[in-house]
Amino acid sequence: MTSTTSAKRRKSPPIPTQALLAKIFHWTNLISLFVMLFSGLQIYNANPVFGGREGWHFPSFLTLGGWLGGGRSWHFAAMWFYALNLLWYGLYVLISRRWQKRFASDSDVKALRVSQNAKRKNYALHRIVYTAIVPVLVLSIASGLSMYKPVQFHWLSSLFVNWQILRTIHFIAVPTFILFTFIHSFLALRVGSIRLIRSMFI
Amino acid sequence: MSKPISRRQLLQWSGLYSASLLLSSCGSSLGSSEVGQAFEPLNQATQALLLSQKPVSEYPLSAIEPDKLLINTFDQTPQIDPTKYRLQIEGEVNHPLQLSLTDLQEFPLASMVIQHVCVEGWAAIVQWSGVRLRELFRLAQPKSSVRYVYFKSADGYYESWDLASAMHPQTLMAYQKNGQPLSVDNGAPLRLASPIKLGYKQSKWVTQILLTHQLMPSKGYWEDQGYEWFGGL
Repeated sequence: MTSTTSAKRRKSPPIPTQALLAKIFHWTNLISLFVMLFSGLQIYNANPVFGGREGWHFPSFLTLGGWLGGGRSWHFAAMWFYALNLLWYGLYVLISRRWQKRFASDSDVKALRVSQNAKRKNYALHRIVYTAIVPVLVLSIASGLSMYKPVQFHWLSSLFVNWQILRTIHFIAVPTFILFTFIHSFLALRVGSIRLIRSMFI
Repeated sequence: MSKPISRRQLLQWSGLYSASLLLSSCGSSLGSSEVGQAFEPLNQATQALLLSQKPVSEYPLSAIEPDKLLINTFDQTPQIDPTKYRLQIEGEVNHPLQLSLTDLQEFPLASMVIQHVCVEGWAAIVQWSGVRLRELFRLAQPKSSVRYVYFKSADGYYESWDLASAMHPQTLMAYQKNGQPLSVDNGAPLRLASPIKLGYKQSKWVTQILLTHQLMPSKGYWEDQGYEWFGGL
């Protein structure tokens, strides 16, 4: 029985598989990031980064928490899941040397520039895009920590020059992550169709 | 005959369910206070761990941003006659104090240029000058049981702090802002000022300081609405 199914499968392209730990990271990151994002917009509305109190506010259906205090409660609860998830996954990627196989490298950049193979180019582009989001994930923690504890992490917050620049950098994560979600989904579909997407979620 | 639910279906449904739960809670405060209460102990322990008695690094006078400090008041601005004003320090202390403004001005003037950070997200670099709270405590002599400090204001605002933060060398009872006498809007005649706490912890128009060994059910005006109690920076 096993031999017949494996014989059948050999004819179609192999079904993509993901490590269980990668799936756990992906789920936790996706959910905690969007809780951070919607509660972040609630906090934003208390004093918009652009224009202050007279500035444009986000409509309430995009916010989580109902009021500033509620938004902060969600934000400072989800931060633990978001940050610790990124931390253990980062260690796992380093220790398992996953970064050598599953993240973009020179060969992807080279493929994008010189390869004639459209499939290889799509694959390279997708790897470069999801690798490039990693520093943005880390920057969100650095800028967030700098605002949450500007005194105890003064060495960190002083890197952002001043408060307005710090708030702006922290906020820019929102459009970046939303844009990334669309591009990442689109590229994943193009590279491995719905089967690749399913492999990361289920 | 019903088919048993596959693992895949179960996962799909649970995913949809949590997504809808998340979306339906958007825009409302549903669950916020539960989430806040569940994570406040962890967040508070982390903040208390980060707190140090080392002075916070200050900014040069040229960095002061006089226009950025916004005025926030929960109710009305009280008018206080400076000649009749008294600051009471009482509770679990060996020497309860009652100090006039002239008494307070006899203490050495402590001054600092720090960043005032509001819970709303704005910040302003400001100079506060006044008396170190720890100097006043040195005179009042808190009993060893004291762990918390309550601040009561003339407008009915109330706050409570942990003793360690109140004893920080840059926690001041301020009567000057940016080198000028404090304006009524900013809390004259006397307000709390500190670089290590969010703005809502820094009560204006303080008239009474109460030292206690326990937190009462009322922790602070905004805390009782759902802001976190520690409010450290």
